[in-house]
Amino acid sequence: MNEIYRLVKPRLYSAKNRIIGDGVRGRGFKAFFLAGLGLAFWGLIFIIFYRVLSYFKRVEGFGDILALKLLSMVFFTFFVILIMSSLINLVAKLYLSRDLGLVFALPVKPEKVFLARGLEAAFDSSWMVIAFSLPVFLSYGIIFAGGGIFYLVAGASLIFLALGATGVSAVIVLLAALLLPAARLRTVTVFLGVLLFVFLILSLRLLKPEQLVNPESFLTVIQYLEALQTSGNALLPTTWAYDALQAALPGGRGDWYFHFGLLLSFVGTLGFLSFWIARPAYFPGFSRAQNAGRPPVFRRSKSRWAFFLSGAPRALLLKEIKTFFRDQTQWPQLILIAALVAVYVYNFAVLPLGTVPWRGTNLKNMVSFLNLGLSAFVLISLAARFVYPAVSAEGEGFWLIRAAPIKIETYLLVKFLVYLLPLLLLAEILVIATNLILEVSDFMMALSVGTIFLIVPGIVSLALGLGAARPDFQTENPAQTATSVGGLIYMLLSALFVTIVVVLEAGGAYLVFMAELKGEELTLRHWGWLTGSFLPVAALSVVAIVYPFRYGKRRLGELMKNR
Amino acid sequence: MIELKDLTKRYDGFIAVKNLNLRVSGGEIFGFLGPNGAGKTTTIKMIAGVLIPSSGSITICGLDLASQAEEAKRRIGYIPDRPFLYEKLTGYEFLQFTADLYGTGKGGQDGIEVLLEMFSLAAWADELIESYSHGMKQRLIIAAALLHDPEVIVVDEPMVGLDPAGIKKVKGLFKQKAREGTAVFMSTHTLDLVEDICDRIGVIHKGELIALGTAGELREKTNVPGGRLEEIFLHLTDRQGS
Repeated sequence: MNEIYRLVKPRLYSAKNRIIGDGVRGRGFKAFFLAGLGLAFWGLIFIIFYRVLSYFKRVEGFGDILALKLLSMVFFTFFVILIMSSLINLVAKLYLSRDLGLVFALPVKPEKVFLARGLEAAFDSSWMVIAFSLPVFLSYGIIFAGGGIFYLVAGASLIFLALGATGVSAVIVLLAALLLPAARLRTVTVFLGVLLFVFLILSLRLLKPEQLVNPESFLTVIQYLEALQTSGNALLPTTWAYDALQAALPGGRGDWYFHFGLLLSFVGTLGFLSFWIARPAYFPGFSRAQNAGRPPVFRRSKSRWAFFLSGAPRALLLKEIKTFFRDQTQWPQLILIAALVAVYVYNFAVLPLGTVPWRGTNLKNMVSFLNLGLSAFVLISLAARFVYPAVSAEGEGFWLIRAAPIKIETYLLVKFLVYLLPLLLLAEILVIATNLILEVSDFMMALSVGTIFLIVPGIVSLALGLGAARPDFQTENPAQTATSVGGLIYMLLSALFVTIVVVLEAGGAYLVFMAELKGEELTLRHWGWLTGSFLPVAALSVVAIVYPFRYGKRRLGELMKNR
Repeated sequence: MIELKDLTKRYDGFIAVKNLNLRVSGGEIFGFLGPNGAGKTTTIKMIAGVLIPSSGSITICGLDLASQAEEAKRRIGYIPDRPFLYEKLTGYEFLQFTADLYGTGKGGQDGIEVLLEMFSLAAWADELIESYSHGMKQRLIIAAALLHDPEVIVVDEPMVGLDPAGIKKVKGLFKQKAREGTAVFMSTHTLDLVEDICDRIGVIHKGELIALGTAGELREKTNVPGGRLEEIFLHLTDRQGS
């Protein structure tokens, strides 16, 4: 045990140094800002669950059943997220960390290293899920008047589910390291995790939860109640956790300690199994992962499609595209985005707008207008993930740009265009596809397409400019820069930008909707309103493009004065 | 070719380089020596145009590096001490990228093949740089720095990670480039290398140039007749206090 503690010690020291710090400027503000944001999010989850459960509680008869169904879905979702997160963490901690070479040179048994790293991975992959699931269980406890034993079982179940998820992932990763080509280890396991997550999203979506609040879609009331009461698979640890918690509530069925015992035995078995596999398999797997074998050979191409560019812009464009797509850590994220976009569009297809007798077309236009803002928010988060870290992604290789005979604006402009085109295309596809499903009016379609065309360049420029202003060339994972203070400022400014655009357009759009509803022709007054709405939006979009870009250019240039 | 006038670099109350005045002519190999933290890499970075001086000026081939940065940088081949590259490009693609960046045109294309052969990288040219060893990356950086046939080569610790054959090749190459009129500004801790190929030597200590001249002139100045460069260096830096 002492050896494991010693192996975890460097991590504890660095955590202590980060917390106590050395008075680096902005650290206090950052901690305060992040803590505030986390607390707000925590409170929001609590309010949402509290309100939903209060509503369920008031529904006589099957309100409790709905609430418990939701609880079982929460457990299942958490478990899948925990497995995905621990898969990614374990691959990095067991096989890819830079310090492993040093650790294996120490007189310590590999299985001890495995245990120490496994504990770190279990903590890293679960603390956030556990922290943000507490308001969910707190709201259940309050609404269903759970006693101390409920909270105890809830907390312990979460911790043991996290340990169980890490155990499952550890077995997968240990075997994968022995069986897979070493160079593909990271890609394949990350893929597995993401596929699991995509499966979760799609399966939850295809369950059509909207039908649960629409009993008419079931033939009989009994069929409906049966559908709701279907308990999870008896062999799933989430079912044991759910059953234990349900039994711990006042009036719950069965003995909580029996179900909790099942969960405990699952974690114990997994812990033993992974340790048993790790003893002979971990170090050989690690050693194998060091030898990547013959690396792949790439065919030389003339990249004729980039014929319209020459010199430095061409060099930067080709470099950007090649390095992006060859970075295998980007692929799972692209799959995830594709799945989320599919679910997003599918949601519009199942919206029960046709059954609403009130002003069918007008309601669809209004939903489409709201969707405009929603699509922009999707774009903001995508730009946070891909555009904001784009300059930091240069890493230590940024000296090449500094030493090259090019202007910083040329470099930033190429990055801007590289990210603008696919994001603009995606955003237009999102709004056009959803508008076609909603069968909106021509005016709404034109408004959506035009607005997206104006705001996406602004969002991309904000992400790129603010990312360039605060780059982190030392980070091992540039995507993490999106969670920095700069990333949060970008998110806030972009959200403000989109909100102002939606507010500015709302007046004009409302007038046109009403005219369409009454069957009136558009008059000079309508056109005046529309011009008055659109001109400020266009002006604001230009400001959102120009200023962040200039700011990023200036700050990136100033960086050369200091480092 | 390279002219430094009152070059100074300050960081938050600390002076890394102080009033450095120096001139390196075409065809000359200049060795820049100094203990760790003396200001060598800071000076090299300023000459390469990757760090902006606090005051003073740098002129490259008659071009002011501050006001004519792009034109001046086009004439520089910079080899940093650590080979950080775009790991997801192949060696060939990286040289192609450099050729496009420096606008070498058709000559650059032919040059890529020649340099790949010269630095024994042709067999790995189509593999990702991430699979290269430290020495291979260092050779690739040197190849990239020479691709646009620069008039000035600025190099920080050129031999780190190179095998003996690589060291011999690079030494020969610098001598050949100097014969063709290129100015080579080289910072290193390898004193044998300096004795072997450098025409003049500058010693920097605590940000100040404390000695300048040929190896012979430095021997005379330090009163270490017949001494090796190592003794001269230690004599100079010890005298100044470390």
